[in-house]
Amino acid sequence: MSTSSVIGISSTRWGKVLQNPSAGALLLVGVLVISMSIAFPTFPSAINAGNVANQMVFVLLLALGMTVVLITGGIDLSVGSIMGLSAGVGAYSINSGAPLILGLLAAVGAGAVLGLANGLMITRLGLPDFIATLAMLGIARGLLFLWTNGVPFIGYMLPEYYVISGLERPFGFITVPIIIAAVAVLAIIFVLRKTSFGRHAYGVGSNPHAALLSGVPVDRVKITAYVISGLMAGLTGMLMAGRTTTVAPTMGLGYEIAAIAAAIIGGAALTGGRGHALGAVLGALVLSITANAINIAGVSSTWQQVVTGSVLLLAVVFDRASALLRERSTRSAGRLAVT
Amino acid sequence: MSHDVVQAEVTRPPVGLPVLIEARGVGMRYPGVIALDGVDIKLRAGEIHALLGENGAGKSTLIGLLSGISTPDSGELFVDGVKQHFNSAKQAQALGISTIYQEQTLAPDLTVVQNVYFGRELRRGLLLDEGAMRRRVESLCGEFGLTAADLDSPVGALGALKQHVVQILKALAFDARVVILDEPTSGLEESERQLLFEHMGRLRDRGVALLWVTHRLDELFGLADVITVLRDSRLVASVNPAEHSPDSLVRLMVGRKRSEGEHLRVHDRSERIQSNSREEFIRLEHVSRYPLLRDISLSIRRGEILGLAGIAGAGRTELGRIILGADRPDSGSLFLDGKEVTIRSPRHATRLGISMVPEERKTQSILGTMSIANNISITDLGKVSRNNIVLDRRRENRLAKEAIRDLGIKSSSEQQKIVNLSGGNQQKAIVARCLFSGPSLMIFDEPTQGVDVAAKTDIYRLIYDFVDKGGAAVVISSELPELLHLSDRIAVMREGRLVDELAGVDRPGCLGSESEIAETIMAMAAREAGHSAAADTKEEMA
Amino acid sequence: MSARERLVRIASIDGLPIAAALVAAAVFFTAASPFFLTGENIRNLLIQSVFVILLAAGMTYVLIVGGIDLSVGSTTGLSAAMTLMTIMNGAPWPVGILAGIGTGVVVGVINGFFIAILQINAFIVTLATLSIGAGALQVITSGTQLTGVDSETFLALTKGNILGIPTGLVITLVIIALLEWVLLATPYGRSLFAVGTNPQAAFLAGTSIRRANFSVYLLSGVIAGAAGVLLASHLNSVQPGLGQGYELSAIAAAVLGGIALSGGRGSVWRSLIGALFLATLSQGLQLVGVDPLWFNIVTGASIVIAVAFDRATQHFIAGQLRSLARKQSHDISGGGLEAEALRSPAAAAPIEVQPAGAGNHEITSGARNI
Repeated sequence: MSTSSVIGISSTRWGKVLQNPSAGALLLVGVLVISMSIAFPTFPSAINAGNVANQMVFVLLLALGMTVVLITGGIDLSVGSIMGLSAGVGAYSINSGAPLILGLLAAVGAGAVLGLANGLMITRLGLPDFIATLAMLGIARGLLFLWTNGVPFIGYMLPEYYVISGLERPFGFITVPIIIAAVAVLAIIFVLRKTSFGRHAYGVGSNPHAALLSGVPVDRVKITAYVISGLMAGLTGMLMAGRTTTVAPTMGLGYEIAAIAAAIIGGAALTGGRGHALGAVLGALVLSITANAINIAGVSSTWQQVVTGSVLLLAVVFDRASALLRERSTRSAGRLAVT
Repeated sequence: MSHDVVQAEVTRPPVGLPVLIEARGVGMRYPGVIALDGVDIKLRAGEIHALLGENGAGKSTLIGLLSGISTPDSGELFVDGVKQHFNSAKQAQALGISTIYQEQTLAPDLTVVQNVYFGRELRRGLLLDEGAMRRRVESLCGEFGLTAADLDSPVGALGALKQHVVQILKALAFDARVVILDEPTSGLEESERQLLFEHMGRLRDRGVALLWVTHRLDELFGLADVITVLRDSRLVASVNPAEHSPDSLVRLMVGRKRSEGEHLRVHDRSERIQSNSREEFIRLEHVSRYPLLRDISLSIRRGEILGLAGIAGAGRTELGRIILGADRPDSGSLFLDGKEVTIRSPRHATRLGISMVPEERKTQSILGTMSIANNISITDLGKVSRNNIVLDRRRENRLAKEAIRDLGIKSSSEQQKIVNLSGGNQQKAIVARCLFSGPSLMIFDEPTQGVDVAAKTDIYRLIYDFVDKGGAAVVISSELPELLHLSDRIAVMREGRLVDELAGVDRPGCLGSESEIAETIMAMAAREAGHSAAADTKEEMA
Repeated sequence: MSARERLVRIASIDGLPIAAALVAAAVFFTAASPFFLTGENIRNLLIQSVFVILLAAGMTYVLIVGGIDLSVGSTTGLSAAMTLMTIMNGAPWPVGILAGIGTGVVVGVINGFFIAILQINAFIVTLATLSIGAGALQVITSGTQLTGVDSETFLALTKGNILGIPTGLVITLVIIALLEWVLLATPYGRSLFAVGTNPQAAFLAGTSIRRANFSVYLLSGVIAGAAGVLLASHLNSVQPGLGQGYELSAIAAAVLGGIALSGGRGSVWRSLIGALFLATLSQGLQLVGVDPLWFNIVTGASIVIAVAFDRATQHFIAGQLRSLARKQSHDISGGGLEAEALRSPAAAAPIEVQPAGAGNHEITSGARNI
């Protein structure tokens, strides 16, 4: 049968690529890099690579947290707002005389607390994930506006903060944020692969019913995932505050979209059970190279948001296509088994 | 209630095997329904104990009680001779009772090793002890036919047999002493089935007690050490398979004609038109949808009730969905009144005069937040609106009232929410819904599941009335007496194929007594083809 | 009827809590501030709330079929920009209105295509179109100053009066009434409820799920387009970020009105009450001296409270029905509504599997000993 043989081929070649979305992301990164290098000779330079790397740190950190949440079958729409509010907490603490390190920890801690609130709303109040985090998006952003009264926080930039945020680069383009991001990637890899929380996260997302029957503390796993996501958002806010040297009430606005896009490009499935930290790196890389390309090509940066949204849409279409293909190859396997 | 139907036969117990679990007179009732009535069962170490019974005989309820998912209303459970009171599945698991359910309880994205230890991972400090878990699974899996490569692949990518094996390993890894298998062979190919039986034998040799629920009688012999048969929520017998044949087991399962069958006879069949004079409404030719339906050819005539027999998973519901346009066939064609059609959707099917009373009332039939009237009119809103634009509430309510009266739906008013009706009345409302669009063909999928006897009779009458007015009906049912009672013709399905057709069921006496026909059908549905009884009656009338 | 049954019946009345909350808020603010219950204040309150009222009505349709549309805020902003831009480029005002509504149609079709046809997660799709719409608004507003349209007729859309009532409000009420009518009185509206309450059952009974889904996102887009036109007329200027957060208010208004996120329940009328409650709260808090910036927080929190409250009410009703039925099932002559409800799916208790962690340890250590 000709149709089945076509399906057969697609399930062996294209199917493999589609079924492993991280490979797709890797391919995408390759294509982007090569085509950009051909089109713009300034693209493949060490300086530009450093720019891309330093730019991607924010989305990468958020995407790491988002990946963990997606693995458990949830979604976190509040990361952009949490990022802004955490940055505010950090800036405010430093301005009120707290030592730098304490201010930074306060920012990260605020993110974790807000993540905990998300987790509790979802598990204890039984709110759907996206509604709970959407509400948190509104609440955290509202708190930041209220707190700043619309006027950005400034004057918290202690000398060391310039180094921590990567504005001063004592070690070339390997900045502190890049080191932090690398550590975070390793930490998430470790947590997902080596701890029982990681194992439970995949299982809860893959089949919540089975998780319950197997005695997995499902609620605790979900809460932990949101705390991790909040913590990553806090960390991102802390770094962003140093990079921009002001905390505007709109800080982090719309970043949840980039984070979700990066995680999905990296192979995390909206249906849960799939995704990994290296995928998030690839996803963040795709977004950063795209942004960088827009920049180099001389397109106005106002297009950035349109591009991010389109990339997210493409990513979910890709996600859906790969799911459909898996389903079809299973069915065609059934057909081949009889004929 | 007394055990007046059949006194439980007493079998000599295998000597010397310790009893691990014993249930004494356990019962379970829901309002209006007795799910289990004073059942005794003993599971012994190193013994395969088969549990037989028709759908609704109480097997699932019994499994639920033994695995701690539900608590019995009466009777007692003993584990190792100690009385136990289970409140959760966890508690039963802690005592070494593992249940392998029919539904998937594995996480498809986790690997075999990860699934076996899912929820109870071995750790060294904070870290997962992958090495120890893998070694343990490796040591267990060799004899169960899993390769090293399988251990690291996601369970979702494995076949049905290997997924069963993973569940078995999961039970073994935690020292399960009692393993309950709920229809473990469904979805398995024949060769895989044999392998699973070998695995079960191995579990027995390790001294595990197995409780094995199955529909397929041919599987039992040579493997089961004891067979317990349930019927109508009661224990019929615990027997030694050596003293029985498939036919005698069928007799135990089906039993003598139920008394309710007598007053169900509401229709005088002699007045019905003869089969051959009925004109064909729909014909299927070589219809397949893989993997569940294979090469089905069938025709359904006006004024006739076609029964579809088969065990769960035989593809009967899937066939109904194809006719309704809910799924598209991969190949084959459908003819309506002799003209080839493609049924694009249930919406299209409704316009073509086809409707279905689905199997699962809660998930597939009732529109829970809506009133009875709204539930009935949904199949043809044009009929209750002016110019197809504005709903005519008065007309809708009047028609709903008529339907409620005609079908005898017990309710306070047509505005009552459908969820507040009893199961039987909900089902009648769904039948009213299907009738509302004026169909020529109605498919009834398990029309009397969870319905009391009175409502059952009413539903039978509705089906008869429908075909008497020239409608064609397909009845899918797992209750053989029901099928025999209703059908003019019975088609038997097994594993997605149409294996046989019995015509003339409507003429009593032609094919022998009802229980004889029931045994024939059961034999065809549950066994390998070629059984003599099936061959004898096959196409006798056609 | 026992007190308990009466309580169940009262709790089952949809929209009662939010109507009560609206009255309570109005009474409270009237007592707290002499300026609250004045013609001018009420007028302002209503004019400013028409956008959320409209969006909440569109959202009601989407929620009834069990979906969500996060893109309405950014579509409103984009539509406002398209309207002003078209008129400023010399087109007559009706063309401007068409441009605004056309923007909504485009977004609605895109959403509907991805959600209904390709069957992709609604909130992800609309999150992406939110981003694209907001980005497009930024692109449009970055180059040109969008302000100062001088078409009197266009500005009169919101500034004028019909019989002493602000024109914008009249237009909104007409749209609302039409939407409520379509929802409750047409076969189409009925099919939306059917799809929302049980998509499988609706499908098997011959309803097109795809058509229902596609149409609500299209409708929600059109409504957002219309809201954008009114917003353009109201402000006569457009900045980047316009419309941002309106989706949150629209969802809040709808869920405050008791529209279930799980689909199958709701009415435009009730989300109107929800929107008015939010508007009253915002206006009233401002009058008693609360910083208007609190409003975002109040909106977000009200979503959480409303959903949790709805859940608790449903639990309460189901639980009461169940225990009433249990009581009556002992009484053999009993029957009636409540006893039947026990056997109904809504009241039947699901088999609960405890996620117990307590037994873990023993089992794990047991495994090591094998």
